Amino acid sequence: MSAHDTETKQGMVSAIKSLITFNKDIPVMPLIIIGLVLAGIGAVTAVVVLVKGHEAMYAVNREVPWGMLIGTYAYFVITSTGLAFIGGLGHAFGFENFAKIGRRIVVLATLVLLAGFTQILMELGHPVRMIIWMMLSPNFAAPILWMGVFYSIELVILALELYYAFKAHPTEKDHKTAAMLGFAAMVVGTLATSNLGFVFGSLTARPWLYGVHFPLFLVVSGITAGAALLMLVHNIAYKFSIPEEYKPSMDALAKLMGGGIGIMMLMYLWKFLTSIFTQPIGSYESAMALIAGPLAANFWIGEMLLAVIIPLVILLTAKGSTKKYGIAGLIFMIGLYFTRVNYIVAGQMPVMRKATDGSGVHADLSGLGIYSPSIAEWGIFLLGIGVAMVLYFSAEKFLDLKTPEHH
Amino acid sequence: MSQKKYGIVLDAKNCLNCKACTVACKFENGVEVGDEQYRIWVAEKDLKGTYPNLRLDFEPSQCQHCENTPCASVCPTSATYKTDEGVVLIDYKKCIICKACMTACPYDARFVSEVHHAIEKCTFCYHRLPEGREPACVETCPTKVRVFGDLNDPNSKAAKLLAKHDTYQLKPEKNTRPRLFYIIK
Amino acid sequence: MTLSGMNISRRKFLAASGGVVATGLVAANLSTLKAVAGGHASAPTGEKGEKHIASSCEMCVNKCGFFAHVVDGRLKKLNPNPKFFKSRAMLCARGNAGAEEPYNPERLTKPLLRVGERGEGKWKEISYEEAFKLVAEKLKEFKVKNENRCSVAFASSEGFQEEIFQYLVQSYGSTNTVRHPTLCLSSVIQGWSSVYGVYPDADLKNSKFVIMFGANRAEAIVTPDTIDFVKYKPEGAKLIYLDPRFTNTAAKADKWFPVKPGTDLAFVLGVINVIIKEKLYDAAFVEQFCDGFADLEAMIAPHTPEWAEKECEIPAVEIRWVAREFAKAAPAAVAYPGRRTSWYVNDVYFRRACAILTAICGCWDAPGGICPKASVPIKNLDPLFPYFEMSDDRIDVASTVKNKLPKDKRSENMPTDSVAYLGEKDGSWLRFRDAIIAQDPYPVEAMIVYKQNFIEAVPNRAKTMEMLKKIKFMAVIDIQMTEVAYFADLVIPESTYLERWDSVHNLAGIWPIATFRQPVVEPVFGTKSMFEIAGGIINEMLKLPELWDDADELEVEDFKYDVVEDIFGKPMEEYIKRQLADHPGAYEQMMKEGVFYLSDQAVYGKTRNPEFRFKTRTGKIELANVKYADKGLNPLPIYAAPRQPEPGKYRMILGRHGFNTHTGTQNNEYLWEIQKENVIWINTQEAKKLGVVSGDYVTVKSSVGEQQVKVFSTEKIRKDCVFFAHGYGRLSPQLSLVYKKGASQAAILEDYLEPISGNAAMHETFVTIAKA
Ligand code: SF4
Ligand code: SF4
Ligand code: SF4
Ligand code: SF4
Repeated sequence: MSAHDTETKQGMVSAIKSLITFNKDIPVMPLIIIGLVLAGIGAVTAVVVLVKGHEAMYAVNREVPWGMLIGTYAYFVITSTGLAFIGGLGHAFGFENFAKIGRRIVVLATLVLLAGFTQILMELGHPVRMIIWMMLSPNFAAPILWMGVFYSIELVILALELYYAFKAHPTEKDHKTAAMLGFAAMVVGTLATSNLGFVFGSLTARPWLYGVHFPLFLVVSGITAGAALLMLVHNIAYKFSIPEEYKPSMDALAKLMGGGIGIMMLMYLWKFLTSIFTQPIGSYESAMALIAGPLAANFWIGEMLLAVIIPLVILLTAKGSTKKYGIAGLIFMIGLYFTRVNYIVAGQMPVMRKATDGSGVHADLSGLGIYSPSIAEWGIFLLGIGVAMVLYFSAEKFLDLKTPEHH
Repeated sequence: MSQKKYGIVLDAKNCLNCKACTVACKFENGVEVGDEQYRIWVAEKDLKGTYPNLRLDFEPSQCQHCENTPCASVCPTSATYKTDEGVVLIDYKKCIICKACMTACPYDARFVSEVHHAIEKCTFCYHRLPEGREPACVETCPTKVRVFGDLNDPNSKAAKLLAKHDTYQLKPEKNTRPRLFYIIK
Repeated sequence: MTLSGMNISRRKFLAASGGVVATGLVAANLSTLKAVAGGHASAPTGEKGEKHIASSCEMCVNKCGFFAHVVDGRLKKLNPNPKFFKSRAMLCARGNAGAEEPYNPERLTKPLLRVGERGEGKWKEISYEEAFKLVAEKLKEFKVKNENRCSVAFASSEGFQEEIFQYLVQSYGSTNTVRHPTLCLSSVIQGWSSVYGVYPDADLKNSKFVIMFGANRAEAIVTPDTIDFVKYKPEGAKLIYLDPRFTNTAAKADKWFPVKPGTDLAFVLGVINVIIKEKLYDAAFVEQFCDGFADLEAMIAPHTPEWAEKECEIPAVEIRWVAREFAKAAPAAVAYPGRRTSWYVNDVYFRRACAILTAICGCWDAPGGICPKASVPIKNLDPLFPYFEMSDDRIDVASTVKNKLPKDKRSENMPTDSVAYLGEKDGSWLRFRDAIIAQDPYPVEAMIVYKQNFIEAVPNRAKTMEMLKKIKFMAVIDIQMTEVAYFADLVIPESTYLERWDSVHNLAGIWPIATFRQPVVEPVFGTKSMFEIAGGIINEMLKLPELWDDADELEVEDFKYDVVEDIFGKPMEEYIKRQLADHPGAYEQMMKEGVFYLSDQAVYGKTRNPEFRFKTRTGKIELANVKYADKGLNPLPIYAAPRQPEPGKYRMILGRHGFNTHTGTQNNEYLWEIQKENVIWINTQEAKKLGVVSGDYVTVKSSVGEQQVKVFSTEKIRKDCVFFAHGYGRLSPQLSLVYKKGASQAAILEDYLEPISGNAAMHETFVTIAKA
């Protein structure tokens, strides 16, 4: 071992040591513990699921093959790319307000993405086979193949971004690289998100899901979610009194989030009008399932109230209160979860064949497919939330997420 | 060289709704007992009219072996593929159970097999064809509702039926170009 | 969910409200039964390779031929035998599901001796040898005690090994045998035989005009009729279907008449009236072959279509139309005889009327008409059995118990304390049971039962249970724990039809064919066939001198040689060889192809020959039956209106479907998953009146019992009757799939008798329905 190597190594160790700050006054220990408990429940569920098999444990079925887990997966990974998008705005496009919180953004984006991967791992019947056969016999026409490609690239970009974000003494060149990475994360993230939308939007069989709406809606709502989540975690990190220096960042995020909700509203309006006007087959049933059917409670309370109306009202009346931004962010993040699952489930509720005697199709009295998540699905959901919480709040606790000043 | 083009022509008005075909398929293909475990079904159409003027029709069906094949298009690992004769098959070992094909199929023809731990559906009993045996559902049917054959061979019974009768296909608006043809007249 | 160790269906139990947030339940351990679906279980024998073995089906009476596809010693699938033209080379759902029978997780595997109370389900496993010894001992015990071999009764059901069972009966010498026909087809046999001397078939393949009465051929599968009436229906042919229910056959019919229950006879009389009045009948045929036309003409005069319409609620114009079309199509016209005809107290008269309609139009023994059955000449071994002194007349003949007849005009002039034409081997179940309960004129104290589940098959289950109290010992031979097995003292498992040899049987009909059975797999649980069981019991009987002391010694010696040694002492293959000995190559053909026949073409007209003598008193086709007149019965089919349910009550009608056979197949998962529970059909408007919707449970109550059953509110049934399928609501926990699931017919059917043929009259019960 050469002296030089040793030196480098020592340098790295000290660099890492310098990153770890044990005595930070951040009130996240309870959240880490809650996260651990949730992840623990989730892990036990995961083991049971692996032993007994998905078919036995999940409530998804022949009529509604995609349920809560796909929804949770989308919830996480799209929030992650939303975060990366905001980070990219900061790094690549000089939005100083976002660059100022760059470290947190990258860390959050990466960890949320990892949390999302727990969901897809538990959703796919054979995740290992996926890696093998996507390489050995890829179908380049398949949106899911591209989903794998884009999110893998996104993960790599985020990892590099992390490296630069935490590099002890960044050079000018590093900043340039970081800017390029930010841009790349933004582009790939947006492609990944909209392509995930296309996983659903490509389904001609499912009129509600089919089309351009979901790819775009995911991009918009993902960025909105990124903003909401950032406001929330800053509030937690700073005990709901965010220092003045971040106030402009928070205001900018609030505007981004408000604008995002605005566009989401516009998209809702036309999605529903086109789905209800003259009752187009399939999408009409889905729309009605949301408005007045089995998903109505989730739609009106979860989606409309929590993800649209309340956050928007809070933001409009916040008068610059960062605390209120945080609350709006929290409520939006809860609501957005319903948004994700509702949309996907609603799209599958119109059954492909009428549920008459002998058809084998199971439907409720109104002829819609039946799905309500099983305990195991909730358990896996908790795994995702728990992992996200443990990872992120540990990062808050043990790493310095405060972005160093630019020179 | 004329490429084989397999298909089934059905005369559903002869269907008794006896379910011989569904049970035969389960044994032939080792499909488990279970509400969602089926490759093939015989649906009772809605009863038309009121007592005593009634009409009841049955519609036996299965995977349509679509020429334009949405399930194969969305399959990321090419586990779902089409043979030269147009039979849509699944290579179980490549299937990752992402279920994209289940959501893509407009006919709800697919399910998660508890035997193969992969997605499963009708194969036209592909394993029987080289031995010159008909698909199990075709063979066992009392009234021989389904006629299986090479639609490219003008002398096959299926091709002759197709030429002679008006037929319809299920969900033509999906442009899947099914290989199942239902005789109207 | 686990049912007795079997994990079934993975369908989730979903929260009814369905919202994404609502927490669904996860039923633990939902992975499915792995063992039964062919192909992925290891072979019990370690045998390798694939085979296709010819044999025939026993899932119902039709005995369709198949090739069993056996992979590595395990039965994978049953494929229809293309040469089996009687069934037009098909296998129905049950025939396919039969491949599960040898592997059924609940089948009987070891002889069981009751150790707890009857019906408690406590058993001790014993060996076959012990079981045989016990049966022989018991046979001796009751013979010695009562000095009457008839104190042991033998019940059995149709099947290839039933003749072997009858060998056992004859080796013992009881006259008390009781079989299934009086729960099924004895009245149609009697009705048609009273006109032609035989019970014929219908040539649906060539018929241009068919009237079916409740014989639901689309669902109650009878080969080849079920296939022919749809697949081979000639261009332009018409099917007219009378049934209070809109069955799948109604769905296939050109016209469906929801006939008022019990009045089909009025319809047929109306048709005959038109045909005679308008001189549409085949005068030459009547002149040449029939007897009693003048009497018929006189009797039929008042039965105009207008009169009939009032009775049967089918418009007079339709009756006229049917009559004219029928006559026009003759002789290729069919008034379909049917099979299960245990309907009404006067069923024989109705069947006679159909036979008479057929006769006057000359639709006899001609393409498209009604034809006598032909057969393949197979040698019957007909061995001789000793004559035993200590025997008596059948109890249902000797007894003076009164017949239970519905109280209305139809029952006038009907025999009240006997059955007019009682099948010598068949008996009459309802009289049989009443006589045992009354112990009149002698006690019957033991029963040996071969695969007849009479607890669920015979109307009035409570009464059957009462009869069982008189039975001190009951041994049951079956493949599964039927109710009768469950309430028995000794249960002897039989090999399924896929594991044993069955002798050659001629399936008579318009296209006669002979078939047999050979084992397609070795007995999975080492069980024995009826042939081996009977042989084993007879061997034990021979060790007990008390069983032979009332027979001629020489006859017993002959018996030992002819039956014990020559039949039971040799493998069944020898028996089969002897049956086919007259036809060189037939044995080999049978083994290879599973069939033997002389021709696959129908032969018509043998009996349309002036020389031909019909098996009737006059040797002619008897429009007016001479023997009936002698017995005080009406020589002509006289109509009287059936009693109707009082307001608030419904008539219970029965019917079959193609997913199960009687009560024998419901515990087969592959059939169970098609129909897991029976439902009661109630007309939509009546359901509304009762305040019930489909899916609700109701209590159905008759004078003999009540059952709870799920409602199916439908337009497919008349308002005055209700229906549910047979075979559910079971008492045996070892039929776990249908144990206490749905409703039992036997529990609520009243036990009215059709006293000419001895058939049960199963459509005479009125029930009330109330929301459960
Ligand atoms: S019916 Fe469904 S499974 Fe079959 S080929 Fe078409 S899309 Fe694929
Ligand atoms: S062709 Fe074969 S696999 Fe397809 S439904 Fe028929 S029996 Fe089943
Ligand atoms: S086997 Fe034939 S008649 Fe029976 S249900 Fe299937 S298609 Fe219909
Ligand atoms: S009709 Fe069905 S159950 Fe009966 S013998 Fe034929 S295949 Fe077997």
